[in-house]
Amino acid sequence: MTIRFHRRGKEKGGSAAMNRRMFLMTTTLAGVTTNAMLGSASFASSAVLDEAQGASLLRMIQDIYPHPDVLQVSHYEAIAATVMKNAEADAATASGLTDGLARIDAKAQELFGTPYTGIEDPDAREGLLRHFQDEGFFQGVRWTAYFGIYDNKEVWPLFGYEGSSVEHGGYIDRGFSDITFVPEGPTLEERMADVQA
Amino acid sequence: MTKFDLNDDNVVVIIGSGAGGGTLANELAQKGVKSVVLEAGKRFDLSDIENDEWAMFQKISWLDKRYSGGGWHGAVNHPTLPAWIVKGYGGSTIHWAGVALRFKDFEFKTRSTYGEIDGANVEDWPIDLAEMTPWYEKAELKMGVTGRTTGMPHLPWNNGFRVLAEGCRRTGRSDYRSGPMAINSVERDGRPACQQIGFCMQGCAIGAKWSTMYTELPRAEDTGNCEVRTDAMVLRIEHDDAGKVNAVVYADSEGNQHRQKARVVCVAGNSIESPRMLLNSASAMFPDGLANSSGQVGKNYMNHTTGGVYAVLPEKVHMHRGTSVAGIVGDEVYHDASRGFSGGYYLEFLSLGLPFMAAFLEPGNTGWGRSVAGALENYDRMSGVWVLGEDLAQERNAITLHGSETDQYGLPVPVVSKTPHNNDYEMTAHMYETSAQIYEAVGATDVYELPAYPATHNMGTNRMHADPAKGVVNAYGQTHDIDNLFVSDGSQFTSSAACNPTLTIVALAIRQAEYIAQEMNAQNI
Ligand SMILES: Cc1cc2nc3c(=O)[nH]c(=O)nc-3n(C[C@H](O)[C@H](O)[C@H](O)COP(=O)(O)OP(=O)(O)OC[C@H]3O[C@@H](n4cnc5c(N)ncnc54)[C@H](O)[C@@H]3O)c2cc1C
Ligand code: SF4
Repeated sequence: MTIRFHRRGKEKGGSAAMNRRMFLMTTTLAGVTTNAMLGSASFASSAVLDEAQGASLLRMIQDIYPHPDVLQVSHYEAIAATVMKNAEADAATASGLTDGLARIDAKAQELFGTPYTGIEDPDAREGLLRHFQDEGFFQGVRWTAYFGIYDNKEVWPLFGYEGSSVEHGGYIDRGFSDITFVPEGPTLEERMADVQA
Repeated sequence: MTKFDLNDDNVVVIIGSGAGGGTLANELAQKGVKSVVLEAGKRFDLSDIENDEWAMFQKISWLDKRYSGGGWHGAVNHPTLPAWIVKGYGGSTIHWAGVALRFKDFEFKTRSTYGEIDGANVEDWPIDLAEMTPWYEKAELKMGVTGRTTGMPHLPWNNGFRVLAEGCRRTGRSDYRSGPMAINSVERDGRPACQQIGFCMQGCAIGAKWSTMYTELPRAEDTGNCEVRTDAMVLRIEHDDAGKVNAVVYADSEGNQHRQKARVVCVAGNSIESPRMLLNSASAMFPDGLANSSGQVGKNYMNHTTGGVYAVLPEKVHMHRGTSVAGIVGDEVYHDASRGFSGGYYLEFLSLGLPFMAAFLEPGNTGWGRSVAGALENYDRMSGVWVLGEDLAQERNAITLHGSETDQYGLPVPVVSKTPHNNDYEMTAHMYETSAQIYEAVGATDVYELPAYPATHNMGTNRMHADPAKGVVNAYGQTHDIDNLFVSDGSQFTSSAACNPTLTIVALAIRQAEYIAQEMNAQNI
């Protein structure tokens, strides 16, 4: 169903790390979703979604790529704003989105007796969204989130990715071989000897 | 720049400007043989290269309509992208990573070595390693491959490869090196040494890596014997009443059609487009397509038996710093039926940037959620390999023409079908387990298996065979059916071997150029 682990290590840092993450996902973000977010101008001004749907969309984006320790809510809000802008520009996208969000809520009511944003357990929210993952509106939101996070030069440093290097003369003097937990590679002399032997 | 007349029927027309076509063009030009290279894509130069995965994908990839078929996961997850190749001046040698390995002797003789395999169409090449060795040396000198032929040392080891190498050492392996790569480790041939920029597969912005874009093609043009016409998409190859090919019809960027006469035609459009061109050139005399009396045109499509393995290490690795394929493990390249499969495989360290890692860790609609996001938070502690092994020829793996749908040129859209053989399943299981053990020996916590990416190595769809009933071309890439029609790219491969194909494509192109010049001089073609 999801990512293929060949073997999965024991969760490092034990339950403390996990708990912090669970805490953030179930409380902080959920809280933000319904409080701070709704005050944000970009959402209030959306011509496509009402406030509740805006909250659902933001929650959905967070559930698609949850990075509570790495990203700020503002990162997710920016993605939600892009989704809304795209919807404003295209009627079919707009109706696909509003209809999709409505069906997510309906399914949440059916399974849990609450709207989607009211579900506290992140696994339950993810499981709910899995029902919709093959649909166009979902993948539209998902790829917008993908580009907004993983192809976003401002976000890259938060994941330890440094990107383009040609303007800095490459990584040759910027740590391409600087780790210390494994031995160094062969010296130039050794590499010369290897090809001349 | 030289221009040849459309009515000049003394030229060799080469279709495609990548590894096969670009090399052939320069070799012929150096011998004084006149050629016109028709290239479907645009003209690129070093200033087009950006250190950006998606930007380069958008800029240079072949994105014309194409479908994935068959039983591989890509038919669902990459339905319109069976292969990742370049459309442009230089072909896929802009993207390629530079790994330049030779076939092993047994890999030319798979039928003799493996015997008959159920469901597969395994055959021996009409040439062997002894015959190819001098041509491999010529190719290595031309491309600037680190190693004994050039005397250039292999590249320095980057972080990602050091982790892999240490895992290899701890698991008793010995054949792990940072080469052979067609990347300058020192200044050579007017090109600089590698500056560990990374992004090799987005094109090397300084030209340290060999590419026909800034080596073979400009050198061919400089002789005055070669004209490269870009934005020239070949629609069909024509022949005379005697069954000899005599012209090539192509469309320019405005869609206007032109007809270039030819004395010899060489097809080098990569293994999907090359058979597609032959099939699209069917005529009353050749109703099944040109050079297809064997019925093997388009069949036996091979890429490689592949997957990715990424491991999370206890400390930071920063795998993206430096050469994308920074090292190669060759310990598993042998044939031993007791492993449960035929043929062997390589492990090649391969860094992916965060964008590609996030797209390929779990491709398709399911690739989101907490486990994917959690894994990506370990990005800077990852090291990984691309595993690639021999893919057996199967008739059902084929390039076929769509029955009703056409592309922007009005040509039927190609459908690329690939269904793994049992051999592939056995081999990939072995590859994943070996890679996991190597990484666990250096303390990997999590190990992820990535399924095959869209194919970058395409082979076999106009295969070589001594017997005209079993293959499309002879040992020189000359079609069995039409003396002055040649195949000059990876589509002539009889077997895929475990190694990356380009060095062999280049070696065959150099050898073919000798043969074509000789046969033209002798007035045989
Ligand atoms: C990301 C990536 C990494 C790779 N890494 C390696 C590596 O490390 N080592 C290795 O050995 N190989 C590698 N490869 C594979 C290597 O690039 C190919 O094997 C090689 O370039 C194939 O050569 P070719 O001549 O068959 O085709 P190409 O180099 O693909 O050239 C074909 C050309 O023909 C043109 N063409 C097609 N149809 C037509 C038509 N109808 N009319 C006119 N022009 C046409 C295309 O536009 C293209 O420019 C890699 C490939 C990719 C994409
Ligand atoms: S690592 Fe070397 S070969 Fe690769 S892009 Fe950079 S300079 Fe070029």
